[in-house]
Amino acid sequence: MRTWRRIGSLLLVLAVGSGAVQGQEKVVEVPPGLRPLPVPGENPLTAAKVALGKQLYFDPRLSVDNSISCASCHDPKLGWSNGEATAAGVGGQRGARSAPSIINAAYHRFQFWDGRASSLEEQALGPIANPIEMALPIDEAVKKIAAIEGYARQFQEVFGEPVNEVNLAKAIASFERTVLSGDAPYDRYKAGDTDALSERAVRGMKLFFGKANCSACHSGFNFTDNAFHNLGVGMDKEDPDVGREAISGLKGDRGAFKTPSLREIARTAPYMHDGSLPTLEDVIEYYNKGGTPNPWLDEEIFQLNLTAEEKADLVIFLKEGLSSEQYPDIEPPELPQ
Amino acid sequence: MKRWHLGLAMILTVLTLGTSRAQEEQKEEPKNEQAAAQPAEEQPAQEEAKQPQEEAKPSEAAPEKKEEAASEEAADAAEDANAKPALGHDALPGVTAKVVVEDLNNPCGIAIQPETGILFISDSGNHRVVKVVDGKVEPVITDFPGDVYGKGPMVNIGPLGLLFLDKNTLVVGGGGLPDGEELLRVYELPADGKPIKAEAMVASFSLAATDEIKGEGNFYALASNGEAIFVTSNGDDTKGWVARATLDGNKVTGYERWLATKEATEVDAPVGVTISPQGYLVVGQMGEINIPGDSLITFYDAHSGNMLLNLKSGLHDICAVAYSKRGQMYVLDYAWADPSQGGLFQVLKDTESETGMRTKKLLSLDKPTAMVFDADGALYVTAIGELGEDGNSKGMLIKIDRDAGL
Repeated sequence: MRTWRRIGSLLLVLAVGSGAVQGQEKVVEVPPGLRPLPVPGENPLTAAKVALGKQLYFDPRLSVDNSISCASCHDPKLGWSNGEATAAGVGGQRGARSAPSIINAAYHRFQFWDGRASSLEEQALGPIANPIEMALPIDEAVKKIAAIEGYARQFQEVFGEPVNEVNLAKAIASFERTVLSGDAPYDRYKAGDTDALSERAVRGMKLFFGKANCSACHSGFNFTDNAFHNLGVGMDKEDPDVGREAISGLKGDRGAFKTPSLREIARTAPYMHDGSLPTLEDVIEYYNKGGTPNPWLDEEIFQLNLTAEEKADLVIFLKEGLSSEQYPDIEPPELPQ
Repeated sequence: MKRWHLGLAMILTVLTLGTSRAQEEQKEEPKNEQAAAQPAEEQPAQEEAKQPQEEAKPSEAAPEKKEEAASEEAADAAEDANAKPALGHDALPGVTAKVVVEDLNNPCGIAIQPETGILFISDSGNHRVVKVVDGKVEPVITDFPGDVYGKGPMVNIGPLGLLFLDKNTLVVGGGGLPDGEELLRVYELPADGKPIKAEAMVASFSLAATDEIKGEGNFYALASNGEAIFVTSNGDDTKGWVARATLDGNKVTGYERWLATKEATEVDAPVGVTISPQGYLVVGQMGEINIPGDSLITFYDAHSGNMLLNLKSGLHDICAVAYSKRGQMYVLDYAWADPSQGGLFQVLKDTESETGMRTKKLLSLDKPTAMVFDADGALYVTAIGELGEDGNSKGMLIKIDRDAGL
């Protein structure tokens, strides 16, 4: 003990950043460039559960009129979004916000543009019950799914119980958790492959992490700080969307929306929370002018004074650097009857 | 040093959380005593533990000696601490606090004057530095420029971090000027004790913007190891700089962006900073103010800047880090999104947790900002308290008596 005192330290061996899926069935290969997949302890990932969730994700029977599935608005062929400014729900109803891509949503600290769900499990049932999206009350959704023999059997096999609200969410969330994109040219460049990015993309990357100030918010391996920022988008409207403020109650969150990941950004047009900017060139131009002035404008939004060439380089980096050849282009499964 | 980077799946390293605490835990968990003691002397973990030093550059030899000396002091302090009445750190009722000064406005920094033991506070919302004499505040440096931090709640700020280099040399981190124009100011305090104006500094330093780099500002907190002053700042959010002012004796000779903490940790905003008893630079990485539980406690080599350990604290917005006399670490959590969760926390080992640590809340505090231990072991904490719509507050200075045994 004397020696220990002389050393004067309590020595601890610490593990940091270990994967959350240790000891679990390996269901998905996490692409290079991403972190170990976070999986909640109460919803371990299994192949059977992911397969079940995949069927539910693509199944329009989870909408009140059997017309809309999760994939209708979060389509693998359209960057897991829908290619439109907003999405049409049952009866053609549209909300004010765009359909966010679910690529790498597993890593998001919050779900939805305003972060009102703190997990995929919490998020998964929201669109089903939303009256302007799938418009199917959850208790009815449970009954509807339970009446489909193929689903009833799978829920029993996967969860050891009939379908209910909780395991319905767990199944869908489990599938969503496996929609990953990594191993982009940026990742390979960062890992030492200097040929992975073109010269212009490298210049764009340096701007991204420097003068253009993009990484002030689009930071980390998933290119998001998971926080909420007011960029001024839509704040010049008569009745602007207050965004995160409606959830947090903080005035400083007025007009603030979640920072989206930029992985596969070239596939997810149009852009911003309201889908108001059709192209990446428009987005860069918007940031370059310093957003739309308003009292709650984030301090990281200011005039960038980028040259035309710099703007072009930045777009090239976003398109070339963050688009993976391993894009998760998942085909719809055969649905149970 | 790549193995020590956060990006790796597993990082094995060593952390001192305080000898005295270790002894307490032996009392609390006798079964763990042998297991806890062995790695320090003969288990393979010790070899892992040595690696940061083995990989260190020759210039880092000095801090190892310093670490040993500091550890001796820590051991002595631990023995002293154990001689005190056992109030116990798990006995929260034993930790009492009292408000000793009330008439502050967004106090954001605190330091103790060497030789006199007088507390100096950056009375930030009043744009001045004050000292506490007989329970009353007296102005020391006045008329700092002011600014407003945040979009709602908003906080009026002026001077922020404070650091004494000697009895009469005070360094003040500014928060009232635009990024790039903000100043780290050095003052020689007048012998007659009369207040001076903010512009009466003997030296000042800024980190101006360039075409490529955003200017720095909001110099939140300062710490020194005698060779340099480390300053947390909040200008370029792509980097999250800890700036470094070089020292020649007690003269500040330069000021530079030094440690890109956001690149190292992928989390925003260094705020709290201190030097550990072993000479490591310890940074409280606040994280996003609207994201709960994302604050980090990060250890760096104070000479090379290499990150040695990065701990997910689970706290919301760490704004101050300090070690008690016996080497125990404490942090303050401001908890922007829900101040009711803010307070003073003890940082403890926990081999059961994923990160190997846990925090224990000792006191709920309303928007705490800075803290300092005095020579007797009492802890002084500044807190913003009730914040008005106008950005001014009923700020306070809180004392946690030495009898709390922190």
